[in-house]
Amino acid sequence: MSELAIAPPKHPSALKRYVSIARMALQQTLAYRGTTLATVLILFLWIAILFSFWNSAYAGREEIAGYTHRDMRTYILLAYAINALVGWRVARGMMGRIRTGEIVIDMVRPLNYRTTQLAIAAGGGVIEGCISFGIAIGLGLLFFDIRPPDSPLAAGLFIFSVLLGFVTKVLVVFLISLLTFWTLQGVGIMWAQGSVIAILSGTLVPLALLPGWIRVVAEVLPLRGIVATPVSIYIGTADGLALAGLLALQLAWLAALWWVTDRAWLRAFRAVEIQGG
Amino acid sequence: MPDSEPIIRASGLTKRFRRAVRPPGLRGALKHLVRPRYETLTAVDAIDLTIHPGESVAYVGPNGAGKSTTIKLLTGILVPSEGEVSVRGIAPWQHRIDNAFNMGVVFGQRTQLWWDIPVVESFRLLGDIYQLDAATYIRTFDDLVEVLDLQPLLAVPARQLSLGQRMRCDLAASLIHSPPILYLDEPSIGLDVSVKARFREFIRAMHRERGLTVMLTSHDLGDIEELCERMVMIDKGHIVYDGALTEITNRFGWERTLALTLSDPTPDADTIATGALDGRSGVRVTQPTDTTLTITYDGRIVTSGELIRDLAISVPMTDVDIQEPSAESIIRHLYEGTLRFDDAPGSDA
Repeated sequence: MSELAIAPPKHPSALKRYVSIARMALQQTLAYRGTTLATVLILFLWIAILFSFWNSAYAGREEIAGYTHRDMRTYILLAYAINALVGWRVARGMMGRIRTGEIVIDMVRPLNYRTTQLAIAAGGGVIEGCISFGIAIGLGLLFFDIRPPDSPLAAGLFIFSVLLGFVTKVLVVFLISLLTFWTLQGVGIMWAQGSVIAILSGTLVPLALLPGWIRVVAEVLPLRGIVATPVSIYIGTADGLALAGLLALQLAWLAALWWVTDRAWLRAFRAVEIQGG
Repeated sequence: MPDSEPIIRASGLTKRFRRAVRPPGLRGALKHLVRPRYETLTAVDAIDLTIHPGESVAYVGPNGAGKSTTIKLLTGILVPSEGEVSVRGIAPWQHRIDNAFNMGVVFGQRTQLWWDIPVVESFRLLGDIYQLDAATYIRTFDDLVEVLDLQPLLAVPARQLSLGQRMRCDLAASLIHSPPILYLDEPSIGLDVSVKARFREFIRAMHRERGLTVMLTSHDLGDIEELCERMVMIDKGHIVYDGALTEITNRFGWERTLALTLSDPTPDADTIATGALDGRSGVRVTQPTDTTLTITYDGRIVTSGELIRDLAISVPMTDVDIQEPSAESIIRHLYEGTLRFDDAPGSDA
């Protein structure tokens, strides 16, 4: 038989496929630079509002919930820069493809769906990260007098923790987007998820300032790993044993989410019809 | 049929879906919220199918008959509810990724190109996804670009392509990894005549020269006639015919028509004819105009000779035309849901 019938080589390097996908996502994020920029600018409008709010709150006070005014400014700037990663476009992409049935195109390819989504988020994340951290650090140093990391070790662990948080957020968004297989209506979920993540990850305010039971919930859920954990490592509110505990919690949740998304994907794949005949 | 090992084999393959039953309106929506009700829908019902390497098979049936569901089962996107399926010796749903290397797919209603980036970048990414080495990639790519005349389209983002251009690019994208099997799901939907002709020519060449196994679902009779020697007809999840396209008339061609031309305008000729044919089963009389009469009958029960003899004494006819159904009219009946699959009593058809 001809060359067409010869099977292709068996997965010499699966990684390369996903690297290419990430590069493509990066390119697409650049193609949408208008949208990306607008998203980031709206984000900094939020930061401006929070700054003026905390300015009034700190009038005549040294500390609130263990944070000095300078800590708080640093917290807000970093929190918003981190939360800009895995933006709404990633969530919308995942949900949209399931709702419209475009997902069949992903599934006829030799690709693991979750790894593909991680690669897409990573590609977009490079651009999102450059813009939001660039602006945050620039503004922080020029106007808001943010503080440096607690120690060189804290700086290293901060970066490590941000990366763990990034994967956590992708998995959480992925898990929620799988719900679209059953509800087929993603907009409501997407809206709710954005707000819930902003609150429970500690983006809006540090977890220590959340009221009673919400705080308890937020402290055990994986969402804190997205923002609160890396930022408290940077500022030094968590060090020593507490810091180790936070990283362990982050890793444990990551492992759990990895397992849960695996199961959920299999269930969604088996149970549900694909839209559009 | 080639006597090699089958490339696609399904036995007792079944797919059931659970579908929510929602009564209409707000009340219905609330009711569904409180007590959801579901019905089970059998999209593909215990089908047996064997396809050998190098065959080209048209898979036809009305909307909702289970065509696309079968394709999705073969591509590994859906998990069968029951039965066995194997493509090149592996179960697609258990080894979706391995299976993906063995096939190309074109969905007429969806594109597999990335929407916002130039077409050539989509191809390059697919080359990486299928892990082609550079030399192999370039060879196949150049080949496809030449045959499908893609050169002017390479720098254009997919969203700016016309439907015909997009389809050419999608075809190339589905073959970039030189798969042994190509599934085409309604590939020519919305294409104009000249594009369709080129598309068919290309598929035929790939099939003939490179032994590509093709499985096609289409509503387009031209696609089916020109691309496929073998036709599998599916209706309500069951395979109702599997054989050569040209032999379909032997299986379903028993419904024949006598068209009579009358010598004088006879408004009640249909009543007279019905009376004359009283007692013959499977005969239907209609009168389109005052001077014509149409008799439909089951060719396995009654012959045209018998009918003409019965009618000649009571109806003033000048001309008789015996019409046998074409493959085309049979397929049209299938799509309209008016094809009858029942066998005549005592017939072995």
